[in-house]
Amino acid sequence: MTTLQSLKNAVRQRSIHVCYVDTGSCNGCDIEVLACLSPRYDLEQYGIYVHNNPREADVLLIIGGVTPQWEDKLRMVWDKIPEPKVAVSIGNCPISGCVFSRPQTLTRAPAKSYIPIAAEVPGCPPRPTEIIQAILSVAPLIFKDWELRR
Amino acid sequence: MRSILSYIRHMARPEWVKTFFLAKTAPLSTPPHFREFPHLTGKECTHCFQCMMICPAPGAIEVIRTDKPGEWKPVIHLGHCIRCGLCVEICPELVLDAGRVHMKNAQDGTYMQFQFHITINPVTCMGCGSCTVACPVNKEIDPQLAAKGTSTSDEVIMRVYKGINTVFHEDKCTGCKTCEEQCPTRSILVARVLEPLQISEET
Repeated sequence: MTTLQSLKNAVRQRSIHVCYVDTGSCNGCDIEVLACLSPRYDLEQYGIYVHNNPREADVLLIIGGVTPQWEDKLRMVWDKIPEPKVAVSIGNCPISGCVFSRPQTLTRAPAKSYIPIAAEVPGCPPRPTEIIQAILSVAPLIFKDWELRR
Repeated sequence: MRSILSYIRHMARPEWVKTFFLAKTAPLSTPPHFREFPHLTGKECTHCFQCMMICPAPGAIEVIRTDKPGEWKPVIHLGHCIRCGLCVEICPELVLDAGRVHMKNAQDGTYMQFQFHITINPVTCMGCGSCTVACPVNKEIDPQLAAKGTSTSDEVIMRVYKGINTVFHEDKCTGCKTCEEQCPTRSILVARVLEPLQISEET
């Protein structure tokens, strides 16, 4: 491994850019993601930065059981993220639809039928520690030695 | 000048450099009073299915047979479970545990109980009796009702009485919601009434 590559790995480990998309959630998971930003959990001390623009992001956080309006748009958001990229689904909704997966409700879960998802964080809602842990554990797998693997 | 020097001295310490470049807080752990995903305590499951009946999330808990003959155990499905802990509280055999639920219940002397409440909308109900015929508990109590559609027994859960669908024994309802599915006008509703109760000091 070259020195430049190891330097890139070291920098990338402390610079994970996250973009979140709410595909029809109840706001419970959104609040938990917001709590990650708060001083108690302080997302940025781990080198995770939150953006609202998918073009700036490496990691896509998906929150909420996919509503019919998001069926095509989720793929559009995913395509805008530059390589290397990874998607993490937060909460039960993107996995199963959770309490919304009942007859006569408009959810199109799971989210993994639209885009590839690397990690799923179960819980309704999951705790901020679990969210941070998931992002930290999944990011190195994708970003480490990206140039060599390409 | 002295203050600047003290700053530099402070920042030159190895532990300061470590905390500046690495994560400042230790990995946060979940407090023990939080309700985690339920886990098995190893006690014997009598497959009464109370946990499955009470679970508000669809498909979160299943009581299945194990490889051993006559042994059952509940299985929690992550991605469905919402960690409400109701299955832990309702289980009479303390098969499941999550956080400090059992400890807290024993301390406070509280327990959970649930029953089912049947409501029939008298405006939309046309008294066809589909629900009474379909009800599996009715079939057990009075086989005649299921076979012929008419009955004189008052022991059934509900029956069309004088042209009006009447509920006789709500307490016998097991909450299977067969009647709801059978109703053509959606005028019957089965609601679960959950009661947290306290063991009184006298008894």
